Amino acid sequence: MKLNRRTVMAAAASVAILAQPMMAAAQDLPRNVRMVIGSTSTGGDTYQAASIVADALSKQLGINIKVDAVGPSEGFKALGRDKRGTTIMLFHDHAYLGNLYGIAGNPDPFDGYLVGPTLTINPGNAYLVAKNSPYQTMDDILTAAANGERIRVAIQPGGVSEIGFTAMRNAARVRAPGSEENIVPVNTGSQADKNQAMFDGLADVINGSIQANEQFTALPENDQKAMRFVWLTATPETLQKSPEAGMGALSRDDMLQYASPQTSVTLDGTTDFTFDKEFFLIYNKDMKPEMMQAIDEGLAAVFAQDELNARLLEAFFIPDFQPMAEGSAHLMKKRDTYREVIDALK
Amino acid sequence: MADLFKVSIDFETSHLIFPRLIIAILLVLGTIIVIRNRQAIAGSGAMWAETLRRMDKPRFLGTIALTVIYFLLMVPVGDIWPNTGLGFLICSIPFVALIGVLYMHERSLRSMIPMLIVAVVAPAIVWWLFTYVFALTLP
Amino acid sequence: MPILEFLTPMYVFLILAGTLVGIIFGAIPGMTATMAVAVCLPLTYSLGLDNGLALLLGLYVGGISGGLVPAILLGIPGTPSSITTTFDGYPMAQRGEGEKALRIGIVSSLVGGLISLAALFFFAPALAEFAIKFSYVEKFLIIFFALTVMAALSEDMLLGIFSGFLGIFISLIGVYDVTDGGNGEYRLIPPGLEYWLDYGFSLLPVLIGLFGLATILEAAEVGMPKGQSLKDIKVGAHSRFSWGVFKGQVTNLVRSSGIGTFVGILPGVGGSAASILSYTAAKTSSKNPESFGKGNPAGIIASESGNNGLTGGAMVPLLSLGIPGDATTALLIGAFTLQGVQVGPLFIGNNPATWDSMIIAMLLANIAMFIMMYFAIRWLAMVVAVPKHILFPVILMMCVIGAYTINYGIMFDVWTLLIFGIFGWLATKLRLEVAPFIIGFILGPSAEIYFIKSLESFGTLTIFFTKSWIAMLLWALILGSVIGSIMLARRKAALELAQAQAQAEP
Repeated sequence: MKLNRRTVMAAAASVAILAQPMMAAAQDLPRNVRMVIGSTSTGGDTYQAASIVADALSKQLGINIKVDAVGPSEGFKALGRDKRGTTIMLFHDHAYLGNLYGIAGNPDPFDGYLVGPTLTINPGNAYLVAKNSPYQTMDDILTAAANGERIRVAIQPGGVSEIGFTAMRNAARVRAPGSEENIVPVNTGSQADKNQAMFDGLADVINGSIQANEQFTALPENDQKAMRFVWLTATPETLQKSPEAGMGALSRDDMLQYASPQTSVTLDGTTDFTFDKEFFLIYNKDMKPEMMQAIDEGLAAVFAQDELNARLLEAFFIPDFQPMAEGSAHLMKKRDTYREVIDALK
Repeated sequence: MADLFKVSIDFETSHLIFPRLIIAILLVLGTIIVIRNRQAIAGSGAMWAETLRRMDKPRFLGTIALTVIYFLLMVPVGDIWPNTGLGFLICSIPFVALIGVLYMHERSLRSMIPMLIVAVVAPAIVWWLFTYVFALTLP
Repeated sequence: MPILEFLTPMYVFLILAGTLVGIIFGAIPGMTATMAVAVCLPLTYSLGLDNGLALLLGLYVGGISGGLVPAILLGIPGTPSSITTTFDGYPMAQRGEGEKALRIGIVSSLVGGLISLAALFFFAPALAEFAIKFSYVEKFLIIFFALTVMAALSEDMLLGIFSGFLGIFISLIGVYDVTDGGNGEYRLIPPGLEYWLDYGFSLLPVLIGLFGLATILEAAEVGMPKGQSLKDIKVGAHSRFSWGVFKGQVTNLVRSSGIGTFVGILPGVGGSAASILSYTAAKTSSKNPESFGKGNPAGIIASESGNNGLTGGAMVPLLSLGIPGDATTALLIGAFTLQGVQVGPLFIGNNPATWDSMIIAMLLANIAMFIMMYFAIRWLAMVVAVPKHILFPVILMMCVIGAYTINYGIMFDVWTLLIFGIFGWLATKLRLEVAPFIIGFILGPSAEIYFIKSLESFGTLTIFFTKSWIAMLLWALILGSVIGSIMLARRKAALELAQAQAQAEP
């Protein structure tokens, strides 16, 4: 017992020493920065992206960056209170989607905050059907909707999970106006709830991800739990950058089968709808521009090295660094595209 | 007959159904309690007067007052050195010491020494552990 | 698996270290097993998968077990799943039998941990297959069954049930959260408080306010009486712990471990429900239900074997469906993905070595937990003899730190602690009952989501009766619990009447 405690303390002390910054802090930045994220889970993709990036960035800049999983509402509040740049936020497309869908507690990040550099993409957003479903492809689903069949899609409303559902309805509308009414939501919560909705026969299509659902697609057809991918929302460019081996039994080539252009969910009849789940930084609007510049430079330096890129790919993230000016303009454009789609279906 | 139990839930307003059900149950139970315990409720003024009379007011109200001051100061003090947890450390030491003094029965210097040592050492250890070992945010 | 190549000194050290740190986290009011795993998660990247999991599983088992120490000695549950341990553990400690209560709790924890581990090892895929038979309807009925304990726990049934529903009411304040399947709308927030209350009150600050701060306020009100001194604590011969306590409790142990395991297997029912359900079951089937809540060792046995039963159970859906069984195992998914390992229905088949290493880590963690706590008891039990002017301020500070860090730095959670500390003190004066209140508060949000989603999906109230044989069985249990509570209340009323008559006669 005694020995244990002493060794634990010694181990703890060495960790503490290692945690101290080795290099001199970048001049323009505070020594201790708090990175709040838009998720309350420390096991989810947002936390992972944040901790990998924060780890690399803090070593590069010689400052401490602590990641706090406070969730969207508290995150924006904490960011809004701190004008000194000691709090920054990392979040993904939900930041503006929640606002577009009108979910309470989701302010417009382009108004009142500054949207900063993009960092990385989780290419996993997917839609699945049961393996023995009569619908084999997205085309089957949209045709069925056009023929008046009711298609129930399990999603978590108001964000990344709903945008692909909105795109499906939009594609149905483009193909056969009025048929979008046949694609209806089953509003659920976690991935477990969405899977369960399929097992219970309450949903025909579910939102999921490559990471969480790939193994279900490898089950034999007679298994109640067996699923099949019908659509990956990521752009083909993003999927091209993913590891060639893909994930589990799903290789990169297999993934491309389920994504645009092979699997087409149309945006306007000519181009395909795509959605990359991008992670980016958000700043307080009064934060000093020199600080943002320093972060941009630090990020450019770490993304130029192999270490961070390799670590991101290992955890199935695609590196996607764009400095603040480009990143912000890119996201604004992306937001405007989705706003049109969402507004058209209201 | 089966139609009698049919319910259709509108997702847009589904956040109100369960709270309304619970409020209804609370109102029914509350009414029964008020009727059944009307004598006790009528006598509650005397009960409170008695409670207040018997209360160790310095200790009870002192605890609440010190806690409120402690909570109020923690964040502004911490904001002077952002994200270091020093707000917690600086406010906790006097708080632990003052509550300790408040709860003591014989306030001699001799008996205060162990308490004062704890008041300095305990927050310091906790602060060090949380800030450096566990890397958690403190005010 | 020809040789256990993961079995290195580092691996064993990490399990021991994890278990010890976990016990400490669990034992500090306001710090939970989930928090312990969360803070150590970033360390695991450099440790590698087997060693990283060894540390995290040690933390998990230790954290769930450590909660019993303050629950028994101070009446403050160290973690939400040890609430029911306070009901009988604290009265025993007040009688000076703290040491005995601790030993009972620790032995029960070990049994619960081992039974659930065996269930995980031998039946994981089959249990996961069974778990997916539970839709919204069955999950609602399970929560409903757990809620019936409100009646059984009440001193005065009407006031107790009222307190329980008040707890549900308070738990509904704030957003109908989209992450649970709600529509993201606010409700029940008093005007002007949206900024603070948009996500309502969090469980942990409410819990430590009601049990921690309120206890201190009550002691302050009566002038901080001198507590137990070393002489009052029956150590050694006075409270010799004998295995005889467990005589006639084998059914209770096995049933409670089984309930805990099963609740762990069901995703979304929540860890705290495990000990509440096993406590309900133990009380309902006991011959002396009225002795529960007054220091009946059977209550501690049910609660502690139930919450440790959770540990193995919650790993079942994680490892055979890729879905976490509770908040702590949700974090373990992060450990897997950081290492690029997928969890899902093929996990056990694809990673036999990792599977073995996890089972052995949990086994060692359970044994380490037992040994560490069993031999520390003598000293732990003396905590109650620390002068209150030193103990209470430090506990107050720990409560603050727990409340602040539980959601990674939200000051409103600290104010919640104060609000519910004062509420807890007021509640006693108003004869509202804290135990049913907190149970209502914990289970309220799940009750809502499963009730509303059942109706949303099936569109008829009859579904609660006709969904499946599981639903019918659950109704039988619910009826049993309700009838049991009514009979208990009657017996108590009759007894009081008899006593009153006996006093009236000269």
